[in-house]
Amino acid sequence: MGLLHVRGLAAIVAALTIVGTACGAPSTPSGASGAAASAATPAGGPIKGGTLVMAIWQEPANLMPHYANQTVQSVVLDAIVEGLVKTAANGDYVPVLAKELPTVGNGGVKVSADGKTMDVTYHLRPGIKWSDGQPLTSADVQFTWRTIMDDPKTAVRSGYDQITGIDTPDDLTAVVHYKSVYAAYPTRFGRLLAKHALQGIAPAELSKSDYVRKPLGTGPFMITDFKAGDSFTLVRNPYYREAGKPYLDKVIFKSVPSSAVAIAQLKAGEVQAMWNLLESESADVEKAGVHVVVTPGPSVERIEFNTAENKDGTDPNSKHPVLGDINVRRALIYATPKQQIIDKLLYGKATVGTTVLSTGWAAPKDVTQEGYDPKKANELLDQAGWVKGADGIRSKNGVRASLEITTTTGNKTREQVEQVLVEEWKQIGVELKIQNIPSAVLLSASWAANDPRKKGSLDMWMYASSPDIDPDSIIYERYYSKKIPWSGNNGDGQNYTRVNNAELDKAIEASRSTLDFDKRKAAYDTVCKVLNQEAVIDWLYNRADINGFTKNVQGVGGGNPWRVLTDNIEDWWLSK
Amino acid sequence: MGRYVLRRLVQSVPLLLGISVIVFAILKAVPGGPLALYESTPGITDEDIRRLEHSFGLDQPLPVQYVTWLGKFVTGDWGYSLVQHQPVLSLILERLPNTLYLMGTVFVAVLILAIPIGTITAVRQYSLLDHAVTGATFAFLSTPTFWLGLLLIIVFGLDLRWLPLGGMATAGLPFDLGDRIRHLILPATTIALVQLGARVRYLRASMLETIGLDYMRTARAKGLAESAIVIRHALKNAAIPLVTIIALDIPELFIGALVTEQIFGWPGIGRLFWDAATRTDYPILMAVLAVSSALVILGNLIADVAYGYLDPRIRYA
Repeated sequence: MGLLHVRGLAAIVAALTIVGTACGAPSTPSGASGAAASAATPAGGPIKGGTLVMAIWQEPANLMPHYANQTVQSVVLDAIVEGLVKTAANGDYVPVLAKELPTVGNGGVKVSADGKTMDVTYHLRPGIKWSDGQPLTSADVQFTWRTIMDDPKTAVRSGYDQITGIDTPDDLTAVVHYKSVYAAYPTRFGRLLAKHALQGIAPAELSKSDYVRKPLGTGPFMITDFKAGDSFTLVRNPYYREAGKPYLDKVIFKSVPSSAVAIAQLKAGEVQAMWNLLESESADVEKAGVHVVVTPGPSVERIEFNTAENKDGTDPNSKHPVLGDINVRRALIYATPKQQIIDKLLYGKATVGTTVLSTGWAAPKDVTQEGYDPKKANELLDQAGWVKGADGIRSKNGVRASLEITTTTGNKTREQVEQVLVEEWKQIGVELKIQNIPSAVLLSASWAANDPRKKGSLDMWMYASSPDIDPDSIIYERYYSKKIPWSGNNGDGQNYTRVNNAELDKAIEASRSTLDFDKRKAAYDTVCKVLNQEAVIDWLYNRADINGFTKNVQGVGGGNPWRVLTDNIEDWWLSK
Repeated sequence: MGRYVLRRLVQSVPLLLGISVIVFAILKAVPGGPLALYESTPGITDEDIRRLEHSFGLDQPLPVQYVTWLGKFVTGDWGYSLVQHQPVLSLILERLPNTLYLMGTVFVAVLILAIPIGTITAVRQYSLLDHAVTGATFAFLSTPTFWLGLLLIIVFGLDLRWLPLGGMATAGLPFDLGDRIRHLILPATTIALVQLGARVRYLRASMLETIGLDYMRTARAKGLAESAIVIRHALKNAAIPLVTIIALDIPELFIGALVTEQIFGWPGIGRLFWDAATRTDYPILMAVLAVSSALVILGNLIADVAYGYLDPRIRYA
């Protein structure tokens, strides 16, 4: 029977991956939040002690701070490891281990006279200790940078690769020398590594060390037990800097096989919290008396249109026979009933998407996208010369308006959205066929592994993606004309729609060449506006992070869209 | 006999090599790859992806990747997980006790139950009991484990609240035998019910065949008690096919029950394999498949040898 299991693997994996995909997979949407603090706080203030068990239905593969590539890793890591600066719920940068955020204004950031390089000076809070009692020093900051650059398995090096050196004039001061004006500097050093624990290990050997499972941190908790496939146990960090916190003695992250099981355990009271509910699940869970916290997040569900010819390794200068016509793209956006999708399929737990930057300081205030108006869509197509045939499908110069849409398999909500679009777009004379593929294929992110978005072999694809609070890297990689992947540049870049617009390029260049906050904001305004003028992406809805708690979990708050639910875990406590 | 075993073992080497080539080719033919996990990492650039691809050796030509893997594997270096970064061997050893605990329990329980049930239903052929057992075994045999497992969870875990919904122990509780057993019941029952069906069918058929043989009539003619006839003469011979079936099950003790472990969140080899499959973590997939292939071959060999030992009519050359 063992063999039988293996043979059935493909089919079963396909059937059940709903539970397990990492990538385009839902974090989750919101709409009516604010009900966050709904569970009434009992009088008498926080009670110290107790164990909280949280169900997680994906599992952190490791806890190495600079390897993290899954959201669920952050869920565990944010309770353990801290950095110099973090992003607060309102999108502002706040100092954590640094005394204050270095800025040009307070003299912490000095741009060279030629405007080409800059130095950022961090002053660490005095008296901070790692959870093993060793002091945190500026050498740890320097070591973190070196390790990120030298360890071949580091996930993200952007930003760190702009650093030429870090000086440590004293134990609490780190001067970071950048070789460029790197505007997103506050987002770097979000998780520090402990030099004293790792310095004896060669960078290439770090991935084999124990630290990968039990990293040191300065956060409220420290990890004592890493049981893969089962549970991850954290206990109070005795050296945590805030007196009296954390309130909880212990936090156990329990690995469960699916969100359905997590929900069942939450309802049964076997766990006190669960990470990541789907919007379609949240209504039912709320009815069962679970406290649901909806945090509107930066993740936007979208359909991206390929404007170049839909073939493998497409020429970026070619034109898609149907979607190469901007009128068709605009018509499709007009014929997308976003509000209806949100109301009917997402139980209102999302907001209508209009742009790539849905929240945060870079989010444009007045950018809109074509609202639902099928009549206008029809007019546009009529004017553009797309004529309806006998079967009701339009064609122009012998080209039928027949398209394929692709999304990740096993995601029920996405499949339902596709069904809606097939019907809606038929009404405007566009035929839509569904051709879904597993997320590991659609989002493989690699030219060598044939990511179809990179190769340009699809018509359009639906998934979600979220920018960082500083959107520099995502905007540059995804919408700059030199970042169109093709054989000529070995597939470099993530400009999958092949959008190529001089005004857009100029705005992107402007956004990354200055530290002036207002100029950067204005540049992102233009980026978002031009992207929508080009109509290359149909922004469906803004997702939210939805998490569930039993009623006795207090101090959770409304969540932080830029972090994960454990962002403020030191404030959590259990009422009787 | 010794030469026979030796020959079989030597023959298995090219077979295993062939299997590993095919498995490797199939795994690599699946589009996508482990780097898909990095897709949603904020700030990740193409340069990062290419660097990671290189550090995992995924940018090498496939034959080179295979030969590198094989060369290391046969010398005992099973490589490192692409996402967990731990040595594959230690990841497998970490899960093995959990799988042995689950599958071993099932193995013993099924054996203890199958022998009396199979024997009685054969001796009382066409009785009400036989019909009931036959019906039940067919039903369980044809029930997919993922459905049966979920059903048991819903009934005994959610509705009746008698048993926990999954996992191996209550999180945060120090070792507690009762707690462990409560967690074991549902997953073990799920696998056991399906396996039991097969075992009972086998034994019943084999018993029926034996009971009808001439020497059984002779035994009866001698005036032996019916119980002695059944146990000493019939069961002994009828159990021979069961031994081979059991030997063939050896690999299962290692690989566990993929679906059941996943449904119940059981931290065994099956779940390790499942997670590796969803993350296309090649080193783990290759190692688990290679070991289970070797165990299948070994299980077959043991079955053949055991058969020859138990049934002197069979001779190996």
